[in-house]
Amino acid sequence: MKKKKGLSVLVPYAYITPISLILLTFVAGSLIIAICFSFTKYNIITPAQFNGLYNYQKLLRDDKLRVCIMNTLKLTVIIVPLQLFTSTLFAVLIASRQNTFLGKLTKAALFIPVLSSSAVVGTVWKTILNGGHPAVRAVFGIFGIDPTMLLGSSESAIVTVACIIVWKSMGYYMIITLSSLMSIPDNYYEAAKVDGANSWNQLTRITLPLLKPTLIMNAFLATVSSMQIFDMVYTMTGGGPSMSTTTMVMYAYQLTFKGSKAGYAMTVSNVLMLMVLIIVLFQQRFMRRDASEI
Amino acid sequence: MKKVLRLLISLFLICVILVCILPFVYMILMSLKSTINVYDFRFALDELSLQQYKKIFANPSFVRYFINSVFVAIAGVFLTLFTSCTAGYAFAKLKFKGNDKIFLCLILTMLVPSEVILVPLYIVVRGLGWVNTFKALILPLPTAFGVFIMRQAILAIPDELIESAKIDGASSMKILWSVILPLVKSAMLTLSIFTFIGAWNNFTWPLIITTKDALRTLPLALTTLKAQYDVDVGLTMACATVTFLPPFIFYLILQSKFEAGVALSGMKS
Repeated sequence: MKKKKGLSVLVPYAYITPISLILLTFVAGSLIIAICFSFTKYNIITPAQFNGLYNYQKLLRDDKLRVCIMNTLKLTVIIVPLQLFTSTLFAVLIASRQNTFLGKLTKAALFIPVLSSSAVVGTVWKTILNGGHPAVRAVFGIFGIDPTMLLGSSESAIVTVACIIVWKSMGYYMIITLSSLMSIPDNYYEAAKVDGANSWNQLTRITLPLLKPTLIMNAFLATVSSMQIFDMVYTMTGGGPSMSTTTMVMYAYQLTFKGSKAGYAMTVSNVLMLMVLIIVLFQQRFMRRDASEI
Repeated sequence: MKKVLRLLISLFLICVILVCILPFVYMILMSLKSTINVYDFRFALDELSLQQYKKIFANPSFVRYFINSVFVAIAGVFLTLFTSCTAGYAFAKLKFKGNDKIFLCLILTMLVPSEVILVPLYIVVRGLGWVNTFKALILPLPTAFGVFIMRQAILAIPDELIESAKIDGASSMKILWSVILPLVKSAMLTLSIFTFIGAWNNFTWPLIITTKDALRTLPLALTTLKAQYDVDVGLTMACATVTFLPPFIFYLILQSKFEAGVALSGMKS
């Protein structure tokens, strides 16, 4: 073995430098900025002034923030179970028809909203609901709903936004669930059939228990993304009516760009960051415990 | 009984398909109506026209948005491929001090929720003086996820191939380019599609970091150009259709790659 030349030791570091620089600047840099500036009064234009814990004390007195936290939690509580239920249901149904034309078509159709921009989805749904097209009115009329009121009233707007977000991303979770469904060995089902289990038993005794880790993971993925909703709300309601759909990310955005309170906006972001971090840590423990059970 | 159940499930799946695609059908149909009859809801094939598309492509701002979107997405794909392949190769096949630790640190950045750091990221980019530049739109696109995908793909390549290339006197750059990359084309394609669509569809970041028409991208046309178009539904829907089509066409061609990518993105956590 010949001895390495001095410089060639550095070659691997050269390979990882570009991505490291990018992540260091944009991700680590943002985290440091978020922490530092949360202790300052800053309006983007004039230099930041240190004001100690003022922003953090302000959090406790901020009624608007309380509304935004509630909205964010409401969205999460509506979206996550609905998302999990629909995506699992569709994955199971598609798996039972996977080689038929209908099964393939359903899988493809469910994925179309996933790959569309949220700006497109938001704008199109808003146009559909508010456009007053007779066909749309007729469809919603079956359920006794006036489509123009769905985004227009502060009671129903948040539920409507939540449903549209579920509609947009159910295909994503369906694909994850479906790919783990496909990895369940066929002989489990064959053995169950020999024992006389019907398809309901197969679903509840074999499929769902084996899917548990995937479902837990989906639940956490959906939770973390529901807590950071911004673009769909921005394009559909702009946070209204009367703040009923303003999420925490949107509040931070408004504070920075409409209220010139970037320092306080970062304090709000840090609260959200902490909430997400708690969920991620919780997930890690949950998944590990689940893995040790198997 | 079993047949009835099967039929019911089929009907249900058809409903699911309709619920998924009807909004897009509505979008396309509305975009094909001329302004005069956009609120005339009778549907007749001979009244369909491409007038709205002619109108939006006659608008120089819209054309600019379109070109910007194409440029940002393609540059983003190349930058992501470059950073992910080089780093993925180093982490998978090169021995150096701190390999595992640095990789873990990079992977940890995936835990940082992207929308939460929006405001601080804006301050960082502003501090660099990059507001309203293409740098600001493109440089933050690569993520640790790309490195993860490429590392996984390159790990599967047998060491013997690399050793024999080394014996032939190939430099590590040459090994990466002519031995490794040809073997991980599939992973590179998956990564490219995901980066392209992510960049193409991205709404929030361009919204924050650009204030000039010269740098805005297509998804923003839906909210910023709307003021100019007043409330012309046909024009808005034509914009939406143009934004929607490229990812959709990619999907039609490369459906399996999309599913592979989603399954991978689920695996990361």
